[in-house]
Amino acid sequence: MLEGGCLCGGVRFRVTGKLGPAGFCHCKMCQRATGSAFASNAPARTRYFEIAKGAELVNEYESSPGKFRAFCRRCGSPLYSRRNDEPELRRVRLGTLDGDPERRPLAHVWVGSKAPWYTITDSLPQYADGDVR
Amino acid sequence: MTTARSSPLTGRCLCGAVRYRIHGAPLTMYYCHCQQCRRASGASFATNLLVRTESLELEAGAELLAGFESSPGKRRHFCSRCGSPIFSAAEATPSLRSVRGGTLDGDPGLRAVGHFHVASRSAWFEIRDELPQHAGGLGE
Repeated sequence: MLEGGCLCGGVRFRVTGKLGPAGFCHCKMCQRATGSAFASNAPARTRYFEIAKGAELVNEYESSPGKFRAFCRRCGSPLYSRRNDEPELRRVRLGTLDGDPERRPLAHVWVGSKAPWYTITDSLPQYADGDVR
Repeated sequence: MTTARSSPLTGRCLCGAVRYRIHGAPLTMYYCHCQQCRRASGASFATNLLVRTESLELEAGAELLAGFESSPGKRRHFCSRCGSPIFSAAEATPSLRSVRGGTLDGDPGLRAVGHFHVASRSAWFEIRDELPQHAGGLGE
């Protein structure tokens, strides 16, 4: 079981199932949502993702139609995202996990949009957009 | 390596309500792997662009800017509507602001000088570049 939470400690969550494949997303929305070069996310099945504490502190922002980015309204920590057309998944922001998820990111996506100041230096596969097929 | 700095150098949060402009050249940029920056960004590390306080102009959205005191005298400011972390301010360094690089619209004209707080780095991220790595923070 993995546990995690926001910076202020107000929101705590648990992932009781396995995390899916993790990835680094370089899209401009993720850059702005993280304030950094890329996001680091992994999916969890919704039924295995629970807010243990602080649900009232979770704000959601609809960043694109039907896609919501959840964050703590007290400290701003991004927590997960969800999509109306993917109700069975919650995409967890790895930076909010307490420990080692043991999953390792498998690829960089949306590198076509990546920050001009960041250079990808590892050997993971890179995809220009979100299509990893 | 120097590259052309975007002029004007502006930035914004995810929803676009909070917008800023940086006048002149930023001082430096670096990657921070400390636990607080990881939780505040949700990412593998934060990207911090240090600028002089007087060079950072908030052009819109002041009323939406929320702040959280993550450690004594240090406030992390984010957009209350979309959650984007925008910048931090520390009482210990009143002449500096640390702007989150991911919110930039363009190119700051400089590149990160190194990785800091790598002693706390995330388990899943391996640093595979040639930049200097520091166990502690910028001033240590």
